[in-house]
Amino acid sequence: METVPIPGRRRDRTIDRSPCIRRLVVPFALLFLVLADGLVPTAQADPVPSIYVNKTVGQTTVSRGALRTIFGMRLRTWNDGSPIRVFVLPDAHPVHIEFCKRALGIFPHQLRWAWDRLVYSGTGQAPIQVSTEEQMLRMIKTIPGAIGYLRRDPDDDDVHILEIE
Amino acid sequence: MASDRSVRRHAWLLPIALLLSAEVHAIDAPQIHGFATQSFISTSTNDFFGRTSGSRHFDFTEIGINASYRPHNDLLFSGQLLSRRAGETDGGKIRIDYALVDYTVTDAVRTRWGLRAGRMLNPLGLYNETRDVAFARPSIFLPQSIYFDRVRDLAISSDGLYLYGERRFQGNELLWQIGAGYPRVGNEEIERSVLSRLMPGRLDSSDSFLGRLLLEIEGGRYLIGISGAKALLEYTPGSGDILRHGQVSFSPVILSTQYNGEYLEMTAEYAQRSFTYEGFGPYLKDNNFVGESAYVQGIYRFRPHWDLLLRYDVLYTDQTDRHGKDFARAHPGIPAFSRFARDLTIGTGWQYSPSLLLRAEFHHVVGTAWLTGADNPDPSAMDRTWDMFALLVSYRF
Repeated sequence: METVPIPGRRRDRTIDRSPCIRRLVVPFALLFLVLADGLVPTAQADPVPSIYVNKTVGQTTVSRGALRTIFGMRLRTWNDGSPIRVFVLPDAHPVHIEFCKRALGIFPHQLRWAWDRLVYSGTGQAPIQVSTEEQMLRMIKTIPGAIGYLRRDPDDDDVHILEIE
Repeated sequence: MASDRSVRRHAWLLPIALLLSAEVHAIDAPQIHGFATQSFISTSTNDFFGRTSGSRHFDFTEIGINASYRPHNDLLFSGQLLSRRAGETDGGKIRIDYALVDYTVTDAVRTRWGLRAGRMLNPLGLYNETRDVAFARPSIFLPQSIYFDRVRDLAISSDGLYLYGERRFQGNELLWQIGAGYPRVGNEEIERSVLSRLMPGRLDSSDSFLGRLLLEIEGGRYLIGISGAKALLEYTPGSGDILRHGQVSFSPVILSTQYNGEYLEMTAEYAQRSFTYEGFGPYLKDNNFVGESAYVQGIYRFRPHWDLLLRYDVLYTDQTDRHGKDFARAHPGIPAFSRFARDLTIGTGWQYSPSLLLRAEFHHVVGTAWLTGADNPDPSAMDRTWDMFALLVSYRF
């Protein structure tokens, strides 16, 4: 038995291996690296994005189910009857990916398919896409009924957090 | 028919007039989206969407543009124009794919329901409504056993009225739609498919019903659905017609399930299609048969923006005569293998950017049940086993 460091990212870890397995390690490690490249969450260390709404929004909490429906563009009215306006970052944006996975509990491609089904069947509309978190904050600040997500607390009186129940 | 068409044309102008006249805030401005898709298709023997076994490989093109406008939070106007070239079956004529008004009566956290009127894409199975949009389908060709492209117009949309609703409980959601209306006919391939060949008379749609119930568990991680329709087609004989005034009733029922993981997506759908022919006279005897379709599909998203697809898709035109032997005996000259198709598909897709998609796929098919008579006019010249390779590039905005 010998111990060898695995090539790649985690150089400090070692494994035991027998000669039979040895021949397979390199191809499998290569295959793994090819497949895993990009699957490794890029923003794992960052905080879960919090949900922010425009100050006109009366409610301070939302259920996860309702949140999914809001971002799925199928619930368009706040509890007080005013229109919900949804803002998102691009599908491949790390903050969007984190938001989908950890706040909504779904994956960005599912959300995209849901929007495509609405847009291309004429039964709904897509959310408004912004390209940066700065733009996201500006929209949430200025648009009545706006909802979006941010990694950092903007410390701004024009927006407030919406807690998941 | 002509006045009917002109009414539809005017109906289409209504949302446009609203778009132009309304003073809208930029956020509530109309949304405009579109797509353009070109495919390359090459087949070993039989033809699919053009002379694909010969020298015509680029006869499948899909272009669409849609607009939607919400003048009030409860009200949505939307419409889509579509041009589709598909071999001999579709010439690329621009048509109204859908044009509808949607009124939401109740929109709350637990419940939503409303009404839709106009021309709508039929909510059948998981993919029917988005079948023409390359970005929203899992492969270049949807499983043809259920999403036949040969009777596409009949399956895709109808003019009528719908009720829809959503009920949410504990993170799960029940979505339902029911509607009544007239499916679109008027495409020769539908006549060929329903009556076996082109006849001098006319096939029109009559009162038809449609519905879908979809349960989304854990925000869509698991999907279970059932959808069904009862479509009625009326045949009016032409001059010197051997057929009498007859009626075809077509009732598909589709069961759908899907698992949506982060990297893995599994989908299976099963359909039974019942056909009843009545009143056509001695040359097309009253009869009733049930067709069966099923597919199992796995998608592995092995890298961001990349996917790998594996699918097995089966179609039997008549479940009591799966291998078409009885049919071939009764119809000399038409091969038994025209009554079934088993398609093994492997494909890959690469979404280069949010607006550019590339796909490649390979089909190994036994049987010809979903090939069109327009593309393959001589049934005796068809081959039982054939392969197809296809590439696709799609742009959307």
